[in-house]
Amino acid sequence: MMHDLALLCCAAEAALVVGLVAAAAVLRLRRGRRAQRDAALGRLYLRIVMHGLLTGMRRVPAFPRIGRTGARGVLAQVLARLASAAYGLDAGLLRRIVRTAELEPYLLRRIRRSGGVRRARYLSLLARLAPDAAVGAAVARYASDRSRSVRFAACLVQLAADPSQALRLLACWPEPLTAYELAAVASMLRRGMLPVAYEPLLASPHRNLRSLGLCIVRQFGIEEAEEALLRIAASDAVPEIGCEAVRTLCALQRPLCRSGVLRRLRSMGRAERRALLRCMAAEGYASDALPELFDRDERLCYESLVGSYKCELVCP
Amino acid sequence: MYRILIVSDDPFLRDMVRFALDGLGAEIRTPGDRSEALRLARRVLFDLVLVLAACPYADCEAMLPRRQRGMRRPRIFFVAWQHSEHAVLSVLDGGVDQYMTFPVNLQRLRLKVAECLNTLNP
Repeated sequence: MMHDLALLCCAAEAALVVGLVAAAAVLRLRRGRRAQRDAALGRLYLRIVMHGLLTGMRRVPAFPRIGRTGARGVLAQVLARLASAAYGLDAGLLRRIVRTAELEPYLLRRIRRSGGVRRARYLSLLARLAPDAAVGAAVARYASDRSRSVRFAACLVQLAADPSQALRLLACWPEPLTAYELAAVASMLRRGMLPVAYEPLLASPHRNLRSLGLCIVRQFGIEEAEEALLRIAASDAVPEIGCEAVRTLCALQRPLCRSGVLRRLRSMGRAERRALLRCMAAEGYASDALPELFDRDERLCYESLVGSYKCELVCP
Repeated sequence: MYRILIVSDDPFLRDMVRFALDGLGAEIRTPGDRSEALRLARRVLFDLVLVLAACPYADCEAMLPRRQRGMRRPRIFFVAWQHSEHAVLSVLDGGVDQYMTFPVNLQRLRLKVAECLNTLNP
């Protein structure tokens, strides 16, 4: 009796394992097919959109199979990637496509029904589709989401919906912006969605705006900002912003043996000084520039860093 | 007919630029990956090689095999995300003819490619 029961249990376990493996295989197959179908559909949609943009088409082109599950998501991704990788496109036609294909209601629905990372992903898709003020207002509720990535993506949508409110929105952002978040805002600047006026940003009393100003100076290589950078490096009340200003000076390859920079360097921690050394090595500073700035150990470290960087350049 | 090779690991960027260059009267090849592109570049004499890259330091020299054999070398255009002066200068020193950054103006890119092809004899 016990033997039969044990056999039965083993058979049931084996059947369960086989069933689970089969289910996983079917799921993987379905996902693979769907990915292939989406890739083919994305390529088709990209071709249609590009043809419309390059021929100056006025009417909205037809998108085959747009009513199928996931097709709107594919189109939204195509338009968002196009907006990220290219500029100077016919914004009117893109806007009409978004409206005709009802992408905004689709994405708002997906945002409402999902959570966490998916919600943030849909929001950042929406931010790249040049949303209007109504969409900006509709996502305002996610500005208090518990996930930081959702809050920031909602902020990006609001920025894209009303660029005139950019400074207010970024100044109101309660936490210091991370490098990733600054890069996301800077990429909007690069696409011409926000104004590139670094001077008021550098002089702003808000930490995030100063940080964005430094990011712009770094990204666009604005050497005229040197005086403002030295002022921030010497006297900014927020130590992180002061360090960032020194790194920005370094990125612009400006001389660092200045009294303000020296003062900031003295207040920097060991890890921050090492990070600056790495930046300096990458930017190609000579070790002669170091004696006043760093102690003997750090100079030795710098020489090894320079060695490694040069080695990488000479024998890739 | 002119021959253009588009090199990129990103299928979206590859297709985007390919569609943007449609109608220029050129045969456009878009191999699936970098090694295939290098193989193709060694076998076929292209008029223009368009490299769309995240990092611009790769394979400049590898794209110039014909020069060593005394044949006309292809024009090389780079479109990359890096925009620091160092990156641009080092790539131009490496033999690249044109460097543009993402996000790129597709009409401008098309114009540059058309201008470049017009200066060549097919």
